[in-house]
Amino acid sequence: MSELFVALTPANLLACFVGTVLGTIVGVLPGLGPAGAMALVLPLTIKLGPTAGLIMLAGIYYGAMYGGSTTSILVNVPGEAASVVTTIDGYRLARKGRAGAALAIAAIASFVAGTVSVVALQVAAPLVARAALAFGPAEYFGFALLGLVLLANLTGGSRAKSLAMVLTGLMLSTVGMDPLGGTVRFTFDLAGAQAGLSFVAVTTGLFGVAEVLASMAEPAASSAVARVRFRDLYPNREELRRSVPPMLRGTVLGFLVGLVPGPAATIASFVSYGIEKKVSRHRRELGTGAIEGVAGPEAANNAAAGGGMIPLLSLGLPFTPSTAVLLSGMLLMSVTPGPFLLRDHPSVFWGVIGSFYVGNVMLLLLNLPLVGVFARVATIPPKYLMPGVLVLCAVAAYSDNNNIFDVWVMVVAGIAGWAMRALDFSPAPLVLGLVLGPVLERSLLQALTIARGEIGGLWASGPASVMLAAAVVAFVAPGLMALVRRSATRTT
Amino acid sequence: MGRDRWSAAGLALLAVMYLLVARRYPLDTLATPGPGVVPLITGVVLLAVAISLFIVAGTERPARHVGGLSETGAAPTRPTESARVLRSPLVLAAALLLYTALLPRLGFIACSFVLVVLASRLMGARGWWRPVVLGLGIAATAHLLFARWLGVPLP
Repeated sequence: MSELFVALTPANLLACFVGTVLGTIVGVLPGLGPAGAMALVLPLTIKLGPTAGLIMLAGIYYGAMYGGSTTSILVNVPGEAASVVTTIDGYRLARKGRAGAALAIAAIASFVAGTVSVVALQVAAPLVARAALAFGPAEYFGFALLGLVLLANLTGGSRAKSLAMVLTGLMLSTVGMDPLGGTVRFTFDLAGAQAGLSFVAVTTGLFGVAEVLASMAEPAASSAVARVRFRDLYPNREELRRSVPPMLRGTVLGFLVGLVPGPAATIASFVSYGIEKKVSRHRRELGTGAIEGVAGPEAANNAAAGGGMIPLLSLGLPFTPSTAVLLSGMLLMSVTPGPFLLRDHPSVFWGVIGSFYVGNVMLLLLNLPLVGVFARVATIPPKYLMPGVLVLCAVAAYSDNNNIFDVWVMVVAGIAGWAMRALDFSPAPLVLGLVLGPVLERSLLQALTIARGEIGGLWASGPASVMLAAAVVAFVAPGLMALVRRSATRTT
Repeated sequence: MGRDRWSAAGLALLAVMYLLVARRYPLDTLATPGPGVVPLITGVVLLAVAISLFIVAGTERPARHVGGLSETGAAPTRPTESARVLRSPLVLAAALLLYTALLPRLGFIACSFVLVVLASRLMGARGWWRPVVLGLGIAATAHLLFARWLGVPLP
């Protein structure tokens, strides 16, 4: 536990500071999201070593959640998906002249939720990790499969499309050396493909290059930003009092949603808004500029970011693109997350958790006085910003293996990702299929070998059977419900 | 045939090609599964999903957009399909392919400079001196930051 203070060494504090500032900027800018930004700075963080590198990546992850709300409130443009709901009441509050109060409440809600969820993470992650020590290949297979099915269900839009993207990701994950026997597959004799498709290259392509291409097809957003003076930043007593219950509800809810695979932060913010509309004492005002509509969702999306760290740190299974980038960063630094992380690299484990505390304080101190500066970042025209993003993408992809093949992968992934967006396919399930593919394949083959070819070996143990059953239910249920609904409407 | 049907057909084609290549890898037995097992399962399931997408595409209403946002923060984008709107991203896509092809020959600084100037012009920057200054700045900063200071090798 004393390793928590690892986060307080000057080098790690600096890494945390740089990460949170970068994250806030990324959160403020529409377009580039946290996963893309984290992939972009991966080459830089590897040079910093595991603890400082991961602290910086985690800072971006958290910072983006903070920054996203700033432009939602001031410009009515969400910096990232998890802040879409905040525009509803946040922007109306700004129009009423309460922009400062809304920003302050958003920052405070993010701080409270972030800190509470780190405490929960600190308590829960070692417990889950200890339980996971008993997990064999069959349990891992069940868990990864359940995760991917839930992910396809929750990504939004068409479920079949999300499923197709998960499978495409799995397919791409089979390129290169197979995880057990060492057979080289699907490389078409390209030397660069032997080690598999670079995750960094695919991610920077899908979330960086594709975003740049997509932004070109859109008209430039207007850039009128309300000016906020420092002394306007104080919410009045009434606003503070009204924010407390939604903040607490959002925190608990967000953390729980964060444990579930899928775009947890976005879902958590929508669910929190929905709950406030049902239970809040001021529910009638929601939609017209109520502070509850800022406090609840902003707490929820930050708490979800904390909850999402539990499967990553204690099981080694990421279920969001951002945590997937964190995983690949860890692997590049030869740190394997999962049940053994706490035992083998305690300073990394506690250092990262400690940095969440520090990062939350830093973000609060940074966001309150500098909110005007960050809001102005959002007004930098894309024609000056996006070309730089392209160059950064190329650097990140190349430096992963010092290989021009990876730059090709990035460019092709970028063009494919642009087409996917145009056809309403989400890139997130693909990335997770790519990351979880090797886990799924290795655990399936190992489980079969252990069971001497008996397929029943996959569900022989209690936890494995529960997870596989849940995966089947999650796979079948939405289809069945649609059938039931259809026949119900036909009979009425 | 609508957009969704075309994309479903494309996915089905991808699955079939993948399965054809996957035939090269042995399945072996269930007790000692070979490297062909997971590709076979993946390819077959993708084919099934693609076929169901193709069938459903004709009957379904358009997907909801609010729920379609990704956690990654991608802002919702809905490019209109007029040729004028598509032209500049297509030119940039071609430029990116050319960039990658020329990187090993011309080096990072020269290629990145040209890419930035071109991209910034395509995105609506007027005149030449601003894009050129931007290109020089970005290429030089990236070189100094990554190659010199952090020791990241660049092509």
